[in-house]
Amino acid sequence: MIQIIETYHSMLIGALGKTLLLTLTSLFFAMIIGMIFALMNVGRSRVFNCIGTVYVDAVRGVPLIVLAYFIYFGMPAGIKAMGVQDFRLSALQAGTIALAMNCGAYMAEIIRAGIQSVDKGQMEASRSLGLSYAKSMRLVVLPQAIRTMIPSIINQFIITLKDTSILSVIGFPELTNMGKNISGNTFKSLETWAIVGIMYMIVIVTLSKVAKRIERSLSRDR
Amino acid sequence: MTDKKIMVHVQNLKKNFGKLEVLKDFSIDIEEGEVVVLLGPSGSGKSTFLRCLNQLEVATAGTIIIDGKDVTNKHTDINKIRENIGMVFQHFNLFPHKTVIENIMLAPVELKLMTKEEARKKGMELLKRVGMDTKADAYPSQLSGGQKQRVAIARALAMNPDIMLFDEPTSALDPEMVGEVLTVMKELARDGMTMVVVTHEIGFAREVADRIVFMDGGYIVEQGSPEEIINHPKEPRTIDFLNKVL
Repeated sequence: MIQIIETYHSMLIGALGKTLLLTLTSLFFAMIIGMIFALMNVGRSRVFNCIGTVYVDAVRGVPLIVLAYFIYFGMPAGIKAMGVQDFRLSALQAGTIALAMNCGAYMAEIIRAGIQSVDKGQMEASRSLGLSYAKSMRLVVLPQAIRTMIPSIINQFIITLKDTSILSVIGFPELTNMGKNISGNTFKSLETWAIVGIMYMIVIVTLSKVAKRIERSLSRDR
Repeated sequence: MTDKKIMVHVQNLKKNFGKLEVLKDFSIDIEEGEVVVLLGPSGSGKSTFLRCLNQLEVATAGTIIIDGKDVTNKHTDINKIRENIGMVFQHFNLFPHKTVIENIMLAPVELKLMTKEEARKKGMELLKRVGMDTKADAYPSQLSGGQKQRVAIARALAMNPDIMLFDEPTSALDPEMVGEVLTVMKELARDGMTMVVVTHEIGFAREVADRIVFMDGGYIVEQGSPEEIINHPKEPRTIDFLNKVL
């Protein structure tokens, strides 16, 4: 075990960095996707409601690994069939898209629930003062919704971080993929996967602790 | 009476919620400076009528003209009209993430009607008027129900409305706090504000109303001065209702 750490520590740390990079970029886009589809879902327009629902149902109905294969292998093939030569997605790009789409669907549900948890009277009071729907949403409803959403959002962060391991199947050199390589080279599966597991655990437990703390401080000043 | 400006003109207003007809055929004219109190059993359509006036409920049919502008017309900028119609809610609906003064300043500043300094000054004046100036920097959660409602009134007044709508403003209050809110409302009425009030406070209606409208089942049953409606009601439904609440 010591030997593996000695030999591979910089590669392992680098791979963990890749994992975090993938997580953070995906989360960034997932927040945007989630916000867009959540607003579509809570609005009055039937067309937007429908688009929002279809997106969330479709993405949640497909396993992440299938989504990743579809984007990494399927999409470039499709685009090539349409006559565009040389279209390629890197594993990072495809991985980010797949994770962002997946996480975005869950995020949309979290944000939708958060918005709907705010008393309807808040929107009505704001509208009665002459503020538009968009301004009321931004200034009155969302700031209140975000407080209730934070624990679920952090929880979703953790899930997404773990889901990056699935993207080892498209060859992105994140932590799990590195684990595969190391155990393949050294034939020491037990030690390798224990180390990889502990690395994930340290990051995630730290994150959950931070989440708990934020949650507690939020409920205190309420 | 006739030379006064008509502030609110409502004709053949109907409102359905799905199959349920809440307002069946509602017509009324309200003059500038008039205080109209709507009485009636729950489910009679009082609150729905009030909420139709500023289109928080979209009317199913009929016409509402406020200060010369057709509210029911789809091309009317409803936000612009709402700036002139203050509304006070049963459950106050103060913004809990903002302080008292921020609650009041929000709309005038966001709608660029006032600068921050102007809005703060105006807000403090209004808070003084409702006796809440010492709580300007408190959060709504730190206030009692009566205090919240007085702040809510100040918030509505900050927009310099021509009309104030009150939707059961004292129904969610502890009995000992009802008086302080009614006092503020009485002062408003005395200052000449056009007011439409849904309430169960018969005493307030008797004292302050220029006209009482008694509603039942989505219609106006009868209307008239407090003297006529409370002391000498003609319709059996009005008599029955008053017997129950007095």
